[in-house]
Amino acid sequence: MNNSLKALIEACRAGEADYQDLIDRVPYARFLGIELRVQGEELTFILPRNPENIGNPTLPALHGGAVAGFMEQAAIIFILLEMGEPRVPKTIDFTIDYLRAGLFRDTFAECRITRLGRRIANVHISAWQKRRDEPITIARAHFLLSEENN
Amino acid sequence: MTDNSVPYTRIDVCNRSLETVRHSRNLGMEVLSAEESGVRVRMPWREDLVGNPDTGVLHGGAIFAMMDQAGGMANSCRLYPNFEITPTIDFRVDHLHAPTPGKAVICQASCYRLTTHVTFVRLTTWEEGMEDGEPVATGLATYTRMKLDKNGRVTS
Repeated sequence: MNNSLKALIEACRAGEADYQDLIDRVPYARFLGIELRVQGEELTFILPRNPENIGNPTLPALHGGAVAGFMEQAAIIFILLEMGEPRVPKTIDFTIDYLRAGLFRDTFAECRITRLGRRIANVHISAWQKRRDEPITIARAHFLLSEENN
Repeated sequence: MTDNSVPYTRIDVCNRSLETVRHSRNLGMEVLSAEESGVRVRMPWREDLVGNPDTGVLHGGAIFAMMDQAGGMANSCRLYPNFEITPTIDFRVDHLHAPTPGKAVICQASCYRLTTHVTFVRLTTWEEGMEDGEPVATGLATYTRMKLDKNGRVTS
């Protein structure tokens, strides 16, 4: 475990560092342009409307892969911030259902840890654009919680 | 089988879709081969696609996005010479082990079942040069078929 990451997570949890610094540390999160909004203790992840993330140019619609990557990264950040000890989770599997077309507009995501075991976390992720109760995608993923030296 | 009456090949169809899908172009994807039985694509390792800056391993999301696109192209290869839009219904990817930092990844995607409304696709991703060895990821997906008329409008 990289100490700078651990220190950054602890600073975020203590309210001494900006959560965005944690997201911006991940190159792929910057590639997608992921942002994070904190309201009270609730974390909402944002994939701002960005032409780089377009899949179907005629509709236009977001690339399903960009939405999936956004949700996976949201879950990883969520686990880091929710867990007592910061450990970098590795994705074991990721399963997504596409319910509605992802329009060319801002996309939001929230995460819920269904089960946090000693080694494996099961996370549910929901993404929406217009209304939270009209998700465009829902996903379920398992993450391996690495040991300190991984 | 090659039908000389069709003025474009499967690889043309796949390259065309990569040209128009901006996000896949951004991933640096390229088509290596395109047959009725499946498509093979490549995505380079790139610093901006890294998920863990401490290890340099590609982000699972980047691998997912590449595989989802490959699945769509496997549909196009199966549907050739007809053209349809095939939005993803659901997609599962298993990350079997992390690809080596600095190494490109290769994905083989095959549409193994085509019904009136749905396509079924399986996918395997390896590290480049390790295509005969253990995959880094496997995927299983379904897509829905949206047929287009001559003007490119969705008919069903």
